Amino acid sequence: MKGVGEPTDFQAAAAATATAAAAATAGCAAAKAHGETPADVENCETDQDWNVGNCGFMDTDWQQKIRSNSAAEDITQFPLYAWVNVTKDFHNACSELVPGELAQDMLFGLFEAMSAIEIMDPKMDVGMGFDKYDLPPPSFEAAVTMGAIKLDDLTSAELIGIFDALFACVVSWLEGNSMDQVLFTCLYLHAPSKIKDKALRVFCTSVRNLIVIIKNIIVTAGVNEEEDFQLYGNSALLAAEKAQPSAITGLLKEVEDELVRKCKQLTAPEDLMAVVHRLRFMRHLYQAIYQVELLSVAESAEEGVNEIYKSLNVAAELLPLIRRTIDRGTQPVEGSDTPNPMGFSPRIHDRSQPPTFPRSIKIRERPASFQFLEEMVGRFKYACKVIRHRDYYSALNFFIEYSRKSGQCILSRSFLQNLFTTGIRLVHGKQSMKQFLKYSVQIFNSPPVLNPKHPVANDPKVQQHLDTFFRYCINMNTFTQFIRICGFNRARQRDKLARLIENFDTIQVDAARLDSLMNLMANERALEGNELHATALKHSTHFSTWVLYNCFRAMLIFLMSGFELELYAVHEFLYIYWYPYEFLVGFLVSALTRTENILLAQEEYAEHQSKIQVNGGGGGAGKNRKPAKPKKNKKQQRPYRQEIVYYHALLSLCGGMYKAMGALTKDGRIRLPTSKFDNEEIRYNRRFSPFVPLTSPPPVSYAEFKNIRDHMMRPSVEELYAFAAKHFDQARNVLESMQNPEQEMLDLLQIARTNFVVMNVLAQGHQKGLKRQPEFDFSRHSYFPIIKLK
Amino acid sequence: MTERIEAKISVEDEKASIDSESEIIESSKNDELMKEGTQSIPQIDYSDFREESQLLSVKGLIDRELSEPYSIYTYRYFIYTWPHLCFFARHGDKYVGVIVCKLEPHGGLKRGYIAMLAVDGAYRRLKIGTTLTEKAIDTMVLGEADEIVLETELTNRPALRLYDSLGFIREKRLKRYYLNGADALRLKLFLKEPIYEEEDVD
Ligand SMILES: CC(C)(COP(=O)(O)OP(=O)(O)OC[C@H]1O[C@@H](n2cnc3c(N)ncnc32)[C@H](O)[C@@H]1OP(=O)(O)O)[C@@H](O)C(=O)NCCC(=O)NCCS
Repeated sequence: MKGVGEPTDFQAAAAATATAAAAATAGCAAAKAHGETPADVENCETDQDWNVGNCGFMDTDWQQKIRSNSAAEDITQFPLYAWVNVTKDFHNACSELVPGELAQDMLFGLFEAMSAIEIMDPKMDVGMGFDKYDLPPPSFEAAVTMGAIKLDDLTSAELIGIFDALFACVVSWLEGNSMDQVLFTCLYLHAPSKIKDKALRVFCTSVRNLIVIIKNIIVTAGVNEEEDFQLYGNSALLAAEKAQPSAITGLLKEVEDELVRKCKQLTAPEDLMAVVHRLRFMRHLYQAIYQVELLSVAESAEEGVNEIYKSLNVAAELLPLIRRTIDRGTQPVEGSDTPNPMGFSPRIHDRSQPPTFPRSIKIRERPASFQFLEEMVGRFKYACKVIRHRDYYSALNFFIEYSRKSGQCILSRSFLQNLFTTGIRLVHGKQSMKQFLKYSVQIFNSPPVLNPKHPVANDPKVQQHLDTFFRYCINMNTFTQFIRICGFNRARQRDKLARLIENFDTIQVDAARLDSLMNLMANERALEGNELHATALKHSTHFSTWVLYNCFRAMLIFLMSGFELELYAVHEFLYIYWYPYEFLVGFLVSALTRTENILLAQEEYAEHQSKIQVNGGGGGAGKNRKPAKPKKNKKQQRPYRQEIVYYHALLSLCGGMYKAMGALTKDGRIRLPTSKFDNEEIRYNRRFSPFVPLTSPPPVSYAEFKNIRDHMMRPSVEELYAFAAKHFDQARNVLESMQNPEQEMLDLLQIARTNFVVMNVLAQGHQKGLKRQPEFDFSRHSYFPIIKLK
Repeated sequence: MTERIEAKISVEDEKASIDSESEIIESSKNDELMKEGTQSIPQIDYSDFREESQLLSVKGLIDRELSEPYSIYTYRYFIYTWPHLCFFARHGDKYVGVIVCKLEPHGGLKRGYIAMLAVDGAYRRLKIGTTLTEKAIDTMVLGEADEIVLETELTNRPALRLYDSLGFIREKRLKRYYLNGADALRLKLFLKEPIYEEEDVD
């Protein structure tokens, strides 16, 4: 009876209700004394090292014995379980306590307290869902013996019902539910080899293999968090039959063919065809996912991904057919939590749950599940396009976009990560990341030192410096990390970005050093009379620009993600929009403009050089190339034009919001914190704290912000509203000037237009009497709200 | 991990009652209650935890107002370890509001934690929630708290507003935090300027 006898270091003590943890023995005895059900007493066995983990996860032989009724009698048998009656000791010990005093074990902390389940409490005790006439949930064997599940001669309707229910379970599993609570409620999955019906057997075997592959893909990608996906499930069940991943598609194809032959003999083959379609869909989905695993040993990334894409296409075509035939299958009984009348036993794993209250699981309905699968296949197809993005800049853009569109689905995110990393490896071979980054800088702003055709690239000293720098980039992991972060769920990205931004500082320093080394070498080469090399090395800002640009982007995404995650209170909008308006977006624009200028200068120089060469009687090849080149250059001169325009729009929108918030605040329409505990300076510092470690851009202190804000807020409320309106108008102009705008630009345009009108209304002094806080509606765009007056 | 299950407070009613941020700044008080009574705000008394019999009042109030179930051990864990951080609001003999907190070292800081806060449905919008929270924070400040943390459901507008006005910031979004699958927000009130950057040890 540890704990109870010596409550010295605890202030608290228990009333007569024995605490589960204080003394497991005592608890058991008490429970027994009160005649509680044997299953509640399971904890007893683990007396010596009691912990919550043990009590929930006991799914051993012993527990199974308890479950079958006959064994339950045995539990009270001495000496099998070595019961010692401590009731008297327990009551004696209790008599030393005053009411409310709590005997608490050292190890009994908040976690244990929160995990403790009050027996008979309907909210906590899963057992309360049973009534005493309920039979224990049948196991596979029991269900077979009872005749509750058929192993042979299933009708098409039955097959469709089971298949569709299993698809729903897969989807619910991918949404983060425990495998045990969804997939393994299907008894057929427990022992597919015992199923005689070939279609059902092969389908169930495929599901089991699919589970394993999906787990591998998610683990390899490593962008999962506990809230996304539960890696752990009943591995004993999964291990019971050997995985045979490479055989699955063959098996599926075989059954399909058999059934198709059968169909031909039927006058009404529709139902059976619906079965075939499901098997076929499974085959192609399986094939696509399985090939992601195989990609690492593929000959070329393109080929591998092409194969995947083909499978996905077929899968996508089958889904509408499947959705149209859902009602041909047996349907779940209304009001029941079983996804299909036959083959499922939802309660079977009630006792193998993690040691907290069981989450209530709602398995998705069939139409919604197929919709999920349809969207997922679409996301996979989209992910395949990543291999076209061979350089960092466009790959990062792709990832950012993908995350915005597909950020919720863990498998889609993992799918993309796997394709990308294997793709890079296949394209760049040895030291692939380093090669990839080198190539990326070359594509981004084409430093001559990275141009293999330029003689300066062969300068050993240059090579050495470059090598050091890129090795450092790899060691710091900053760039690769940025891409990986885009693979995490949206809520987690923010914290990770904060840490990433801090990491940028050291890389910035290193990039700046590399640039200045290049400039030093330019001087040396100039003195040596090597004009060509000197020019190539001169004025290098390539590397620092590249690093800064990426850092700014991380900063912007970090800051704006707070809107999407609803982390900012309305009264905080002002300083959040202020920073990108005043600084960040401007930095981005100037980094890109500078890059374009560098490219332009280089091209002009190259043109100039080749002219000299041609005039000097160069080879015929030069002549042939020459007319084509300027054309190409014209297009390349402004590769970042679209992005710059976008940032211009963003700048005006941020400016508009910043001034709108200033005006609304001055107008008394914003609810401000009133408490003595509030401290705006602390809040401001917290919000921008990830930027503080950076040398560039230098941190902006609260005092500076306050100065700027005070200055901004000096004009009259009406003027302020008018200023805000002007910014929104500018944003509108920029956005309207875009050719073939994407949906996002159209949404931003709508926001700019509406807010322009609203600001004008307020500027003209409407609604003066009624000082309500407007509504900020972010449904159009996650960065900018439509301001709505009520 | 432990933080994840701390205070899984979620709200059943109330949150649906306000659909937007749009509210008249000069808010209307709980008119009904004021009308039925003596035309004035009811006299509310505040006290901290004294004895076992109050535990059931706490439990009753919280069970009624919050959806997430708590075992009796959870209440005992908090209230008996930090009795001075549990405050009640009473209207006559009736317990109409309660706050339950703890204060512990956490990653080199002293962190206060608001585990539960609930005000009886008939006594809302009378600043009872605010007063209880302020009393708790005051006590934690005396206990040299560096920061105060809590979690609340993303859609719990009344609570978010209450904490906004006290100067809390919403630090983090916690996906699928509650048993019912809902997202939570982690809120923090910083009482001191950071001396050093704490590592994220949540
Ligand atoms: C959250 C809760 C404790 C607030 O208690 P309360 O005593 O009504 O709150 P207050 O009167 O102190 O309100 C303070 C501010 O919060 C905001 N607020 C509170 N309830 C609100 C509501 N229903 N609608 C809009 N704003 C509300 C207001 O801004 C209010 O200030 P104001 O009245 O001057 O406008 C109460 O609603 C409750 O018990 N809810 C259920 C449990 C819960 O959600 N607990 C919090 C989990 S951590």
